[in-house]
Amino acid sequence: MTLNGIGFPRVFRISGVLLVLGLCTEAISLRWIHPLAFIAFFVIGGTFLAAGVLLFLYSVVAISHARDTRDPGAN
Amino acid sequence: MPSPLALLYGLLGITIVLLVLILARPSMTVSIGGKILAFLAFCALPVLCGVWGLSEHFERSKQTSFCLSCHIMEPYGRSLYVDDMNHIPAAHFQNHRIPTDEACYTCHTDYAMYGTIGVKLHGLRHVYVQYLGTAMNPIHLYEPFNNRECLYCHEGARSFENDTHTPMMDMLKSNQLSCISSGCHDTVHNIDTLDKFKQWRPLE
Repeated sequence: MTLNGIGFPRVFRISGVLLVLGLCTEAISLRWIHPLAFIAFFVIGGTFLAAGVLLFLYSVVAISHARDTRDPGAN
Repeated sequence: MPSPLALLYGLLGITIVLLVLILARPSMTVSIGGKILAFLAFCALPVLCGVWGLSEHFERSKQTSFCLSCHIMEPYGRSLYVDDMNHIPAAHFQNHRIPTDEACYTCHTDYAMYGTIGVKLHGLRHVYVQYLGTAMNPIHLYEPFNNRECLYCHEGARSFENDTHTPMMDMLKSNQLSCISSGCHDTVHNIDTLDKFKQWRPLE
């Protein structure tokens, strides 16, 4: 289950889409000086960003774990 | 030199472009360099953007226009323009004794350790009450105004340390005697009487 083996894992795509949504939310929220802009940034943008980064880190670990399980002598 | 906000927008743009590129051409990530790029685009840069954005929003929340963007604060904003120097906030605002673009924050922050965080938490509560609860009417401070906020600027100033203030300094520091509610400087945001005063119009 490596990037080379099965192509770009779906979970990376989801992570990327979440990150793009989070970054876009941040960019839009910075256009206004208003408490709701901060809430939008913090709640919506922050959730997307955190989910995207965590999903990416999880997928990196999961791929590495799957590779070790499949081919324990690789390293 | 571009402003920090412009730099942040630049970083946001670069991160989004990198993400879209990698999503569109996943084969980029096969090489070691591509993996490093993917780590930057998927982890390091978004975290940097998030932290920077949070810092930018925190800085913006100090602005007078931010505080006055809520309808309930409108009369308090007008009280800064009262054409009467006995009104303490108006005298400070109009004479630039405080930064006019951070007027509310300057006097209503907590000049103590973690004070800024405390003020931010209060701010979040204000947003909750404004949109999901019922704002108190009239609004009032959570705690009596602390002299510390006045002394942060005035203590040590030649015009302040005179025969009037010096003998009572200990009482002022310990809040036994309030600057604004002991009959000395008690005309603050008197929004009930705003209409009785002319409004100062700054020159454009």
